Amino acid sequence: MPADHSHELQDETLRRAVAELRRPVALDPEIDAATLRRIRTQAPRPPGQPWWRSGRAAVTLAAGVLLVLFLRAPASEHMMNGARPVELRLVAPAGSRVVVVGDFNDWDPAATPLRPTGEPGVWKVELRLKPGRYHYTFLVDQRQWVRDPSEPPVPLTDFGTPMSVLTVS
Amino acid sequence: MRRSTCLLTLVGLLTAFPAGLQAQDRRLAERLDPVTANSVQHLVDSARASSLPTEPLVQKALEGSTMGASGDRIRAAVEALLGQLGRARDALGGRASEGELTAAAGALRAGLPAGSLRQLHDIRSGQSLVVPISVLTDLVAEGVPAEQATRQVFDLAREGRSDAEFVELRRRVQLQRGGTPRIPQPPDRPATAPAADPPSER
Repeated sequence: MPADHSHELQDETLRRAVAELRRPVALDPEIDAATLRRIRTQAPRPPGQPWWRSGRAAVTLAAGVLLVLFLRAPASEHMMNGARPVELRLVAPAGSRVVVVGDFNDWDPAATPLRPTGEPGVWKVELRLKPGRYHYTFLVDQRQWVRDPSEPPVPLTDFGTPMSVLTVS
Repeated sequence: MRRSTCLLTLVGLLTAFPAGLQAQDRRLAERLDPVTANSVQHLVDSARASSLPTEPLVQKALEGSTMGASGDRIRAAVEALLGQLGRARDALGGRASEGELTAAAGALRAGLPAGSLRQLHDIRSGQSLVVPISVLTDLVAEGVPAEQATRQVFDLAREGRSDAEFVELRRRVQLQRGGTPRIPQPPDRPATAPAADPPSER
């Protein structure tokens, strides 16, 4: 009488099917990430949290604030894009420190010092200025105001200091 | 969607109406006493509300601070400049740039009539007026009679000359009058005359 192997065959097939189903499925990590992103996007706001504390609102608000700050940047930033090179020189043989103040540096005596050129008593500084008209003057040794004789004078200065006017075209 | 609309509206309001919400210019607060800073800021706000440039006013106040001027004197200088900018805009029209208005304010201050600026604007329509007005002002400052300076500048404007040719006119006049004009774009410009100006009243 031949042996009945049908049960053994079915058991083997079943075992293989179960083993195949139990094998872990390797998913693309991007699918996980995308799913989590979608879940987070659709997740309801926690109760009690105002809309403006959500991440997207914060990002939008930050962008808006940056935009406003950019639009309100003072126009006194003359030394920037579109600027042209301008060299200022002064002969001040007795001076040990020369600075220039003007519309281009907020009249700040600490902002733009001149440096010796190597020629005795000659000082210079190179600026980059946007086209426009600038009032300026030199300050020698923190006590003597000296206007640039190579540029036209300002005839009526408001505060009594000799001054020149430079036109950058 | 509603949230985004609210945020965009907020940003729009901050951008479109800075006068009402903007704090005092930091530079004024740092360099002027509080009373002067407030009065200058008020003038700056007035200029902004009238669509006039504000930066020249701030610079005028900072100039006064560096020169050691009193608060009253600084406020008066800023107020005078505000008036000149307004008259300059009346002469050149509402489309004039900040540079043109600043140059025109300087011309008015030098005593040139508003009618001359208006005429120059009509002659040189569509082109920048910064250099022609500046050269006109500089010629007068160099001592050229206003009528003669105006005629020379108007002639160049009618001929459609470039900015460089206006600057060349000024250079020639400076040379004739014994000045030492700047050589355009010098790699190694000769040294200028020795410093001889007296100390300021500071």
